[in-house]
Amino acid sequence: MKRVTAWIIAVLALAAGTGCKKKTTDAIAVIPKGTTHEFWKSVHAGAEKAAQELGVKIIWKGPLREDDREDQIKVVENFINMHVKGIVLAPLDDTALVPVVTDAINARIPVVAFDSGIKTDDTVSFVATDNARGGKLAGDHLAKLLGGKGKVMMLRYAEGSASTAERERGFLEAIAAHPDIEVVSHNQYGGVTTESAFKVSENLLTAHKGPGGLTVQGIFCPNESTAFAMLRALEDNGFAGKVRFIGFDSSPKMVDAMAKGHMDATVVQDPIKMGYLAVKAMVDHLQGKPVDKRVDTGATLIARDAMTSPEAQALLNPDFKRWLKE
Amino acid sequence: MVEGIAAAAAPRLARRLWASPVWRKNLGAAGGLVAVIILFSVLLGATRGISFADLGNLETIFRQTTIVAFAALGMTIVIVAGGIDLSVGAIIALATVVIAACLRAGAPPAAAALAGIATGVGCGALNGFLVTRLRVVPFIVTLGTMLVVRGIAKGIARDQKIDGPKSWLTELLARLPADREWMVFPAGVWLLFLFAAAVGGLLLYTRLGRHVFAVGSNEEAARLCGVPVARVKRAVYVLGGLFAGVAGLMQFSRLTVGDPTGAIGLELNVIAAVVIGGGSLAGGQGSVLGCLIGALTMQVIQSGCSQMGWPNWVQEIVTGAIIVAAVALDRFRHRGTA
Repeated sequence: MKRVTAWIIAVLALAAGTGCKKKTTDAIAVIPKGTTHEFWKSVHAGAEKAAQELGVKIIWKGPLREDDREDQIKVVENFINMHVKGIVLAPLDDTALVPVVTDAINARIPVVAFDSGIKTDDTVSFVATDNARGGKLAGDHLAKLLGGKGKVMMLRYAEGSASTAERERGFLEAIAAHPDIEVVSHNQYGGVTTESAFKVSENLLTAHKGPGGLTVQGIFCPNESTAFAMLRALEDNGFAGKVRFIGFDSSPKMVDAMAKGHMDATVVQDPIKMGYLAVKAMVDHLQGKPVDKRVDTGATLIARDAMTSPEAQALLNPDFKRWLKE
Repeated sequence: MVEGIAAAAAPRLARRLWASPVWRKNLGAAGGLVAVIILFSVLLGATRGISFADLGNLETIFRQTTIVAFAALGMTIVIVAGGIDLSVGAIIALATVVIAACLRAGAPPAAAALAGIATGVGCGALNGFLVTRLRVVPFIVTLGTMLVVRGIAKGIARDQKIDGPKSWLTELLARLPADREWMVFPAGVWLLFLFAAAVGGLLLYTRLGRHVFAVGSNEEAARLCGVPVARVKRAVYVLGGLFAGVAGLMQFSRLTVGDPTGAIGLELNVIAAVVIGGGSLAGGQGSVLGCLIGALTMQVIQSGCSQMGWPNWVQEIVTGAIIVAAVALDRFRHRGTA
């Protein structure tokens, strides 16, 4: 009896394997770095918006384990085997994803990179925030707040992170245009966790404390975790609101801090626009239209006094639910 | 006449093979694997019109399984001996970091690969030493070394990934170029088959292998029969570390970078592979063929869910349910025959 079942199973397996003809899948795969962060929800919303407006199908699939390179490689491989029309990928690593992207292109599946770069020239386009410009916006605004003079410091994010390094570079370039502003510290790295950034922030504040409070007048942090850590350190030590402070990206706690005056501005990206433009670049390419090698999805500085405007609110609280039907 | 004999002999041979315990024991697990392949073939064929069981896709699944499968070879030995090794994922991460760092320092690829594998052996030796000397249960010892090894990996890599220069190591598990398609699988997968056969032989036909089963079945009885229990345990963890090191080499081949934060939680997939394949956490049971089937089953589920476009939370629920169902069915079957 058992033997009979085994044979039936084997025959069925063969039939299932050979019965279907190889066909391409009529969809574009969109692969984020993770699926649970709010940032990626917004990117998903933008991609979905593009799919609905341009009349294409997308499959949204991130790595099973958030931020796991191996898992993201597997996702790309599975889409290659499905012969999707195109792959829109936010690579978790600029090097580790290169072989599998090359495999896709060899299988004649075009690839658009978005959010983060990848070390190959064979992608159709790179759709991402111009981070250096975002950093420059922060630098210009801080200089304006300080009236063009004073001492400032910058807490860097992590060594080897390309996007934040660009922001840091843009900030320092903008500050360098003001000879009366002195950068007293720009070589400290907060590290990847909020906790490590918090420790470094406390050390930095201790190092720049005078008898009457802080000896610096302006602070810049290049991402959400460093900005939040610095904010906590400022609040703990009673310096919040007494120093001009600009962050990057946003979170509900940072929005609160801006409302309370503990933070002066933040530079935000537009994840919905990023998802939209990334899918649009792929659709344009598939329809034979020319696509720019580099597409900027924009960075906007939101100052305290303008944070209640509808444009600012749309960026601070992206309406992803509308497109994801949640 | 000759045909008649052949016709009579063929079923006898088939029956002999059929009766071989290696196949018999893994019948349930193999049936499960075939069932999930059929399930996804039918689902994907019906909904997306693509074939799941085509050669290209199966080749990809084998390549994707290799890392877990290598680690599962070592884990099978450890589990059969009644132990457990939770440090496997961390060892894999450390091995990729060591290999990348060696390549970066200008070491030849072969030396870097050996250094990575030796790292695994070293970690395994540490596990074995702690388990036998401190007399702490392996679950706790390897829970500790998991953190220690992960910390060392992050320390060496200074909390970042290390890019390795291009070398033939990264081709071990890469998709085959068109001019080498006759190999069917890349070298890493063939190495897996080779090592699997070796470990199978070791477990079934050598003294160490029999001792491993004896220690796992009843440690006290084994000791009274003169089995050098401590030495067997140390050997078991060294082998576990060795295969984790090789899995690390394969991981490096896939990533082309040394990633200290990679392979987090992978030890659980490895343990699941062994258990789906009939291994018992109580020791004394488990087989190489079974663990390979278990590893393949998990990857087939992952690929299938991914190609169906199911969201990750569905995939995780499905995987979890299938693990429990597979093991429960296996136990049920054993109860039926015993």
